[in-house]
Amino acid sequence: MVYSRYQTDKPEVINTVIIGENIHVIAQAVSTAIRERDAKVIQNLAKAQAEAGADYIDLNVGPMKKDPEENIQWLVSIVQEVADLPLSIDTMNPVAMEAGLKACQKRPLLNSASGKTDSKEQILPLARKYNCDVVISVMTDKGMPPDVDSKIESIIDTVTYANELGIPNDDIWVDPIILPVSTAGEGQRFAVACLEFVKILEDVLPGVKSTVGLSNISNGVPGELRPLLNRTYLVMLGKNKLYSAIADPLDKELMSLTKGEMPEIDELVYKTMDGEDIDPSTQSQRELEYVKTAKVLMGETLYSDAWLDS
Amino acid sequence: MEYKAPVEAYTGVVREVIIGEGRKSLKVGGENILPLHFFDQGSNANPARFALEVLDLEPQDWPEHLIKPFKDVISEPIKWAKKCQDFVVDAVSLYLVSTDPAGKDAPADKAAVLVKEIAEAIDVPLIVYGSGDENKDAEVLPRVAEVCHEMNILIGPVLKENYEVVGRAILEHGHTAIAQSPLDINLLKELNVKLSKFFPSDRIVIDPLSSALGYGMEYSFSLIERVKQIGVITKDSMTMMPIIANLGDECWKTKQAKESNEQGLLWEGITALSLLLAGANIIVLRHPETLKLVRETVEAR
Repeated sequence: MVYSRYQTDKPEVINTVIIGENIHVIAQAVSTAIRERDAKVIQNLAKAQAEAGADYIDLNVGPMKKDPEENIQWLVSIVQEVADLPLSIDTMNPVAMEAGLKACQKRPLLNSASGKTDSKEQILPLARKYNCDVVISVMTDKGMPPDVDSKIESIIDTVTYANELGIPNDDIWVDPIILPVSTAGEGQRFAVACLEFVKILEDVLPGVKSTVGLSNISNGVPGELRPLLNRTYLVMLGKNKLYSAIADPLDKELMSLTKGEMPEIDELVYKTMDGEDIDPSTQSQRELEYVKTAKVLMGETLYSDAWLDS
Repeated sequence: MEYKAPVEAYTGVVREVIIGEGRKSLKVGGENILPLHFFDQGSNANPARFALEVLDLEPQDWPEHLIKPFKDVISEPIKWAKKCQDFVVDAVSLYLVSTDPAGKDAPADKAAVLVKEIAEAIDVPLIVYGSGDENKDAEVLPRVAEVCHEMNILIGPVLKENYEVVGRAILEHGHTAIAQSPLDINLLKELNVKLSKFFPSDRIVIDPLSSALGYGMEYSFSLIERVKQIGVITKDSMTMMPIIANLGDECWKTKQAKESNEQGLLWEGITALSLLLAGANIIVLRHPETLKLVRETVEAR
């Protein structure tokens, strides 16, 4: 059984595999630390994520135009010194990707390939060569498929291609690509489409796993409100059997949710998704916030930055 | 088998907003169907309303054919406003362009006195727009509200940057607010949520910004359509307000409208009809002949 490792005693709740997102070149501190070979900064981030319960540590180095091999090898080695976790090598640069995968002691995650020609030719074969798990996104040469049907269609094509290269479904983690819910007009439609995608994936491509870049759902939203969107969406995706998420393991409440430690919140969000009437007078402030947020993410109420106030 | 057309019934009702006071008052909105869905269950409580523009400063960049209908009154806003009534308007919409800090920067007091004089001189409700400068409007619009106490003028734009000060003055002195946001449904809702914390929702009219044909009208169309759908179909309380389409300026500053009167009338007319189809409740036009054209088209159904 695919999920057995993560199954708890509660049949409904499946622990989501968390790929810690905090080592990311967009963060100024991280890019400076890489440039100046300041191991401490990176190792602290790695340790903090491992202690917080992350299952993987993502090393997002972006396109890595300068010295890709040296940089990624250094990163992998210093992180492996302090964290006993598998790594997710996150770059668009095939040279950095290969060097990173090669340096990993534990079976790594290749993050990520897609249906784009470049990716199919240069990145995807590395998953076979290094016998690792691989994230494959729904992106193709035509761009981002806008709805569930076209996402499914494109992922079937790319997964079939990967199978032909000798990569089995069990090693494939599919990413439907989450976009910010606050994107005017479209954001909520995309949020609903990803929920649906994750739900039907198992039937369409048996054995493949699902993964998402969770925090992207709340991009562009006022900072203090972002965690609530991330947490609620994780619970909703969890109901649809999401396997893993690249997320912030330092968000304690998020981690509690992934471990099934907040069953009353899970139940409340599930009820909301099932359209059950919830009496607001019986809910605490925090519970109400989860309900309101779920309604926004399922497209039932129109998003605005003031969604908790209305 | 006999075909039976499906009839939809909706749960949301656009709030009915009253502008103007006493015998001059006018109801807008109130529909519980989508625009022109007369075949569905429900009704349009009030027809679309039409207003003509008046500027408080003689326009400098208008083509001759646009000035023509008001040539004799174009530098006298009170007479201009009264003349609008010759063309059967539901309301007059006054633009306080003189207060623009980037232009003449006229003081709030002067503008407020003029607004009162015009409101008293005409027999239809008055709509008043400030210059759109968030800081200057925060001085001008509260003063207008105060001087015109209890006349229930439709005043805007109330923006996310100044909604508290402008909104409170509009409320305190018994007027109605135009909540304006820049072509974005999420921002539109957010402003309504924030404003509604202290301001009655049934005294808010939404201005989503209207673009002209060929210059982004499709964005305005989709947005107005979506606001109506979310209000009427999904009953989102914060979008169930009437919509004002303020399109005269956008249409008449196009190259096409400046080139010839005929093109200008059609440009403004097609834009107006399109936004009516999308669900606008108040249409503000610049040329009286467009008004005639659009009215004839709408009433010929």
